[in-house]
Amino acid sequence: MDIRTLEEMPISERKAYALKKVKGLQDKLNASITIIEDDEVKADGKLMGIPVALKDNISTKGIKTTAASDILDNYVPVYDATIVKKLKEAGAIFVSKTSMDELAMGGTNRTANIGPCHNPYDLDRITGGSSGGSAALVAAGAVPLAIGSDTGDSVRKPAAYCGIVGVKPSYGRISRYGIIPYASSLDHVGYFTTNVEDAALALEVLAGRDDLDMTSSYEEVLEYSKLLDANVKGRRLAIFGNVYDAISDSSIKEAFDKIIVSLEDKGAIIKKVYFDGDLMKCLFPTYFIIANAEATANHSNLDGVRFGHRIDGDSMEDVMMATRTRGFSSFIKKRFVIGSYSLFEENQERLLKKAQRVRRLIVEAVLNELKEVDALLAPASGSIAPRLDDPSSDELSDEYLIAENHMVIGNFGGLPSMTLPMGFKDDLPIGINITCNAFKEEEMFDIALAIEDITGLKGHVKEVL
Amino acid sequence: MEISEVKKLAEMLMFKLSDEEAQEIIEEFKTFDRQLALLDKIDTEAVDEMIFPFDVKTSFLRDDEADHILSQDDVLKNVAKTKQGHVVVPKVVR
Amino acid sequence: MEYEIIVGLEIHTELNTKTKMFSGAPYHFKAEANTCTNEVDLAHPGTLPCVNHEAVKKAIELCTALDLSIDPLVRFDRKNYYYSDLPKGYQITQQFHPIGKDGKLQIDDDGIKKIIRIDRIHMEEDTAKQFHLYDETLIDFNRAGVPLVEIVSKPDIRSGKEAALYVEKLRQTLTYLDVSCAKMEEGSMRCDVNISLRPKGSDVFGTKVEIKNLNSIANIKDAIEYEANRQKEILDDGGHIDQETRRFDEKTMTTVTMRKKEGSVDYKFFPEPNIFPILISQEEIDHIVSEMPELPDVKEHRYIEVYGLSTYDASQLIANKELALYFDEMMKSSIDPKAACNILVSELVGQLTKRGEDITSTKVQAKDLARLVELISKGDISSKQGKEVLSVMLDGDDPDKIIEERGLKQLSDTSAIEKLVEEVLDENPTSIEDYKNGKDRALGFLVGQLMKKSKGQANPKMASDMLKDKLAKR
Repeated sequence: MDIRTLEEMPISERKAYALKKVKGLQDKLNASITIIEDDEVKADGKLMGIPVALKDNISTKGIKTTAASDILDNYVPVYDATIVKKLKEAGAIFVSKTSMDELAMGGTNRTANIGPCHNPYDLDRITGGSSGGSAALVAAGAVPLAIGSDTGDSVRKPAAYCGIVGVKPSYGRISRYGIIPYASSLDHVGYFTTNVEDAALALEVLAGRDDLDMTSSYEEVLEYSKLLDANVKGRRLAIFGNVYDAISDSSIKEAFDKIIVSLEDKGAIIKKVYFDGDLMKCLFPTYFIIANAEATANHSNLDGVRFGHRIDGDSMEDVMMATRTRGFSSFIKKRFVIGSYSLFEENQERLLKKAQRVRRLIVEAVLNELKEVDALLAPASGSIAPRLDDPSSDELSDEYLIAENHMVIGNFGGLPSMTLPMGFKDDLPIGINITCNAFKEEEMFDIALAIEDITGLKGHVKEVL
Repeated sequence: MEISEVKKLAEMLMFKLSDEEAQEIIEEFKTFDRQLALLDKIDTEAVDEMIFPFDVKTSFLRDDEADHILSQDDVLKNVAKTKQGHVVVPKVVR
Repeated sequence: MEYEIIVGLEIHTELNTKTKMFSGAPYHFKAEANTCTNEVDLAHPGTLPCVNHEAVKKAIELCTALDLSIDPLVRFDRKNYYYSDLPKGYQITQQFHPIGKDGKLQIDDDGIKKIIRIDRIHMEEDTAKQFHLYDETLIDFNRAGVPLVEIVSKPDIRSGKEAALYVEKLRQTLTYLDVSCAKMEEGSMRCDVNISLRPKGSDVFGTKVEIKNLNSIANIKDAIEYEANRQKEILDDGGHIDQETRRFDEKTMTTVTMRKKEGSVDYKFFPEPNIFPILISQEEIDHIVSEMPELPDVKEHRYIEVYGLSTYDASQLIANKELALYFDEMMKSSIDPKAACNILVSELVGQLTKRGEDITSTKVQAKDLARLVELISKGDISSKQGKEVLSVMLDGDDPDKIIEERGLKQLSDTSAIEKLVEEVLDENPTSIEDYKNGKDRALGFLVGQLMKKSKGQANPKMASDMLKDKLAKR
């Protein structure tokens, strides 16, 4: 479902159409935590009457917001996130608060407190995460736009697994005010659409300086959807060699190669680049340390005192202890213990600060390459969506460390990065990732449009039967 | 690392762990240690920590004008126990 | 053994801003519970901090006043701990890059001047207020997020008295700058004391004890004196001092153990990722400094050197900021500073005290009091009449109006007085004789007669001068 097609429908019917789909899919996909039935069109605007789904870590005044965690299972915000205000002003209608990994701290959407979200292409497979519910609803054609958040690749990976467009713009491009955080220095607001044009339009609505988020950018917001240009003649594009080499699945490489050849045919100048291999093996550990360290602090507010699901106790300490013990899954507790371990004074030098220094080296290396080229291209993942019962992968292999985690570079350096469909393997979608220089979203959309023309997958959705 | 140590780490973060959870964390730390070895290989001599995605400096500061206040009702809306406009918790021990 | 007392102070004081350090919620000390907050102060999920410009300005002013070097790149860090009065589970503070470093404050200990060095000043945020009842704790989040500065001295203080002088001087500086109300009784300024003893002549520091949350200058002095004595007795008995945190018990005037230190607490400080470094330009700093109110020391110096006031008078004025500002306002009229100071300190303040008012609540405007001084020194009214006029001014009228209404204006018209002089001399030939024979009292009698004739309105000095003049001619 895309915005253009929906616009042909009378406004009054758009919401009913989406709601019917969202509700109908719930049994199969388990994509919604809260279905919103009574939302109304607020004004006219670029998204007048367009149904939109919001990841459940986005603060919505008067609508339960749980971040898929038991500790917030009764939390009803008293304020709207900045993007919620912007979407309302643009006329959007909210139909779902979508499933996600608990507190956005995962990449599978298996850790949601309501149970896993299912991939529309194969209900036995994951959507990827953490923004899995949003991805599933767009992929299944329920809504043309769904908002997510992306700390490592939490929009771009599920977009790849679900065969849709997933955008994570530059750091500060979209206000984070009102997004329940994971790791503040890596968190971005991102979103899903079924095509590049909608993706460009959505950014016009979502982007812009917000004084409530001191890290939000003053960079001018362009009319991205009007500036779209699929001409890649003379565009300099680099294949991310380390990622390509780390992938063992030849059919994914072939799909990628086909796109590269077509781009070259259209006049793009292609080269392959390699970064220091040892540095690339550090992508995941660097991310893991920084993200979990920031996350333990970010979630220290979840104590049951002012909001959230409080468990009684004999003292204030007992209350906090009982609330947090019940409120977080084992998975989250694990992350917090490791995160706080990196923060201990005696460990910071070897862990957090080391990771922050390596982060700089990685970003500097990539920026150095991006001086020469307009974008870095790579398969978004080395595989199709894993099965729900798949045991976890080997966390020390190159395939895992590099191919499955390379998109975190966009978070390290705040670079705009997006994934779009590049084809199918065994009838399951695979995606291609584009990463550009900071605030070059316009260029990124142009390259994406060229790829979309090549694949012919514009607006592709999966009818779930 | 011992189970008791891991449990103590957790209690400093205000939650308790079961033995199984603590054991899982010990296993996780083993993988973590091997990943750390990858970081140790990188020479970061004279490299500054990267705290933010960009090295930007801002000059924006908020004007000291009251712009947004919650009603007492809204403040207490999500609070489990209240009394006379206050948030109530059992007596603080410390 | 003789010991030297080593004291360092950590003072937290709330900044006088309209809104919080990191949110646009207003703050009023006396507001009803939980009516001065927003979602940021309550750390509702997804909220982000946004730094208050005025708080930064005030911190810069304070650093300037206390001679600290200012770090123009303002950065914040997180201090992590769990407590019910700390909504985020961390406090945003400036651990790694305080806004000011290495300053000083001069105290005056009965004429002996001493420099107390200041290690650092940093900005942070206050916690919520808790009320501990029998079996529950009530929390009011109004105070959560109120801007604070922490002023950390070097261990340069050597007695309870010096500590009291330091805090008093600091309080004065804070109030003159309008940086903080610095009201210890309301908790807007709080003091922690670090104290250790070392044998006289030694340069090694002893084990430090922290006394937390002292809430008055008197308590700071008393606590230090008690604690120094307690430590001395232990050391004299060959014991050793435990590193611990104590509190001062006002009832018994002693310090008691709060908690022993088992190693130091790890607050897991790390840089706040939600606030990019804020660069304050040199122009802005210069501008802030140029707009700073006059500091008490500078003011006092001006009173003595420029106005010629006595040290005593100057210190009387400086002791009360409002009084000094009132005086400055009076001096906008070109009047005699000494006379202005006298009428303000001796007359106005005295009468206000009797009425249960003070300089901030009085209806007497500084320009009107200055006018009164002018009228007296020009001789339009006598100083005795001045007092009478002032007592009426307390209800808000201006002096010219009062004089007019009460017909108090002195007769200063030369020809009118001359006429009266001639009359008095004509009527008292004996007194003329007495005067010529050297009896000075006669002049007084003649002035008295003249005043009577003028119904008290003649300017006595003019009358006296003119009488002398005429007497010489007779």
